[in-house]
Amino acid sequence: MDTVFISRLKTFLDAVAETVPLYVPRRVDEHYVCVSYDSENGKVPEFNNIRVCTPVKEFLFPLRELAAVFPEPVAPEEVAPFAVFGLKACDLRSMEILDKVFMEEEFEDTLYLVRREKMLVISSDCSDPAESCFCNILGGQSHPEEGFDLNVSAVDDGFIVQSGSSKGRRFLSAHISMFGDVPDALLAERQKNRTATHDQLEKANGAFQLRASAQEVVERGYESEVFDEQAQTCVECQACTRVCPTCHCFYLYDTKQQDYFGKMKMWDSCMRTGYAAVAGGGNPREMLGDRLRHRMMHKFSYFLERYGVEMCVGCGRCVDGEAGEVDIRVLLRKLSDELTDKGRAVAKKAK
Amino acid sequence: MTANLYQPINGEIVEVIDESPTIKSFVIAPEREFGFETGQFVELTLPGEGEAPFTPSSSPAVTEKMEITIMKAGRITAQLHACEKGQPVAIRGPYGNGYPIDEFVGKEVYIVGGGVGLAPIRSLFLTLVDRIGDFKSVVCRFGARTPEDFIYKHTLFGSWRELDGVEMKLTVDECNGDWDGNVGVVTTILDPKDVDIENAVAIVCGPPIMMKFATINLLEYGFDPTQIYLSMEKNMSCGVGKCGHCMLGKYYVCKDGPVFTYAQVQKYPKIWE
Repeated sequence: MDTVFISRLKTFLDAVAETVPLYVPRRVDEHYVCVSYDSENGKVPEFNNIRVCTPVKEFLFPLRELAAVFPEPVAPEEVAPFAVFGLKACDLRSMEILDKVFMEEEFEDTLYLVRREKMLVISSDCSDPAESCFCNILGGQSHPEEGFDLNVSAVDDGFIVQSGSSKGRRFLSAHISMFGDVPDALLAERQKNRTATHDQLEKANGAFQLRASAQEVVERGYESEVFDEQAQTCVECQACTRVCPTCHCFYLYDTKQQDYFGKMKMWDSCMRTGYAAVAGGGNPREMLGDRLRHRMMHKFSYFLERYGVEMCVGCGRCVDGEAGEVDIRVLLRKLSDELTDKGRAVAKKAK
Repeated sequence: MTANLYQPINGEIVEVIDESPTIKSFVIAPEREFGFETGQFVELTLPGEGEAPFTPSSSPAVTEKMEITIMKAGRITAQLHACEKGQPVAIRGPYGNGYPIDEFVGKEVYIVGGGVGLAPIRSLFLTLVDRIGDFKSVVCRFGARTPEDFIYKHTLFGSWRELDGVEMKLTVDECNGDWDGNVGVVTTILDPKDVDIENAVAIVCGPPIMMKFATINLLEYGFDPTQIYLSMEKNMSCGVGKCGHCMLGKYYVCKDGPVFTYAQVQKYPKIWE
C-alpha cells in the first residue's frame, strides 16, 4: 500500500512521534519554524502551506558542530533516528544537492552521513507559495515526487499520505489500521490542487522567466556590470547564505578544552569580505560585486558542471531573509535581458 | 563507515631550522607513517590554535618524518615560529594532486621559484634528482629578496649546484654585500635559450606577483599554457573540496590542485590575488 488516507493529521504525527523524535512546523508571525513535536504539548499540529523559514540543512549539517577530537580521538556521539515533517519539494531538492557534496565518493563526510541516514523525511505539498518562491523558474515544482519517505497532501476533510521509500512503506504497513483507502476523487482533488499551485507560481513569476538556462545566463553574463550594480544594494548581512538550503560553505576552527583539543565546523559565508583571503594578504574577491558573481557562478555554473545539478532550488529564502535588496530573481532576469539585448545587437550588426 | 575527514594525525616538532629572518623549517614526526606525493599539501594544526595549509618541502621518499618550511605571514604562522622542538602538532592530509612527475619524463624541467615558494620546489627537486636520468635536464632559476632571505642556503649554494643534470642560477632583488650572483627580480635571469621550449615543462612557485610575471615571460618565450605548472596559493581549509574557501573559478584548489597548468586557470580573473 503506497497511498492512504487519514482524516486527522494529529493521529498520523502522534504515530510518528511514538517511534522517533519528531520536528514539526509551527507558525511564528508570518513564517514557519521547526519545533519539537513533544514541546507542542498536544496542540493541534499545523499543516504548513509553504516551506518553513529555516533551511533543512540545519538537521544534517548544524550551524556548529564538533568535527574532531584529538590527541585522543573520540567516537562521535550516536545520532538517534529522528523525523522531520513539513519539508517541501524545494527542501528535498536541497538535500539532494547537499548529498552530492557531503556524500561524495572517497570524500564522505561522516558527520553528515549519519544524520542523513537517521532522518525520516516527511514532506508535504506546497499549496500557498510565498511571493519570493520561484522554484518553477529553475525546473522545480510545488509537490515532491521523490526524495521523501512519506509525503502528505492536504485534501478536503483530510490528508493523503504517500510512501516514497522502503522506510516509508514500512511505516504505513505497521500502522495500517489508522489509514483508509484513497478514493479516486481525492486523487483527482490532489492533482487539481497541485495544478492550481503550479499555475499560481507561473503567474507570480512571469516577470522572472529567463530567456535561456540559468547556466547560460550567468556564464554569458560573467563580465556584466549587473553584479556590481546589484551588489550596491547588499549590506553584507550574509543572511542569503545562512538561510539558503543549498549553501554549504563552512569554516574549521580549533578549540582548547580542559582535556582535549577540538576541531569545530561552522557555517561560513562566501559573501564575507575575508572569506577567500590568504595569509600573505591576497584576496581574490575583495570586491562585493566579485563575491556576488562568484556566488551566482557557483550556484548556476560551477556546481552544475561538477555535480550535474544547479545549486539553487528557487525557494526564495534569500529574497525574504536578506537585509539589503539583492534579489536573485532580478539578478538572473537582468542578466537574461542583457543576453537578449546582446543577441539583438549582434544580430543587428550581422545584418 | 569511512574515516572522519577532519580527524588529524598527532605529531611532534622534532627539529626547528632557521632558514632566513622570516622563514623557518620544522621537521615533524607524525605518530604513524605519513606518505604524500610531491606537490600535495597538508593541513598543519597547532593544537587549540588553528590550522593552515603547507606543502611539505621534504622528499616524499621519507615517510616517517616530514619537513615543512613556513614563512611568518599570519596568526598561525607567527605562533608556529614561536614553537620549539617537542611541540605537539597534528596533521591532516595529504591533499590535492601534486606534480605529475611522470609527464615530465624525457623533458627539460624548467623550475622558476622565489622566496618561500622554494619549499614545494625543494620537495619536487629532491624527487626529480632521485631519478635524474629520466629527465633531459633540470634547469633552476631561483630568486630571493636578499642573499640572507634565501632558504636552504646550505644546499642551494653548495651541493645542489654540483649535481649532474642540474643547472642552476640564483638572483636577489637587492644586495648590500657579499653576493657574486645576479641582482634583479627572478624574471631577469630567465632566458628563452635556457631550455628547448618545445620539449620542456615549466614549474612556477613563489609570491603571486613573481608567478604572474614569470608566467607572462614564459608565454612570451613560446611556452604553451599547458606546459606551465603553477602551485596556486589559496585559502585551503577543509582539504576535500567542500568548505569552499579555496575556490578558483570552478576548481577547488585543495582537491583539483594545488598544481594547475596555466591553461586550466587562465580564463579566471584575479588568479594571482
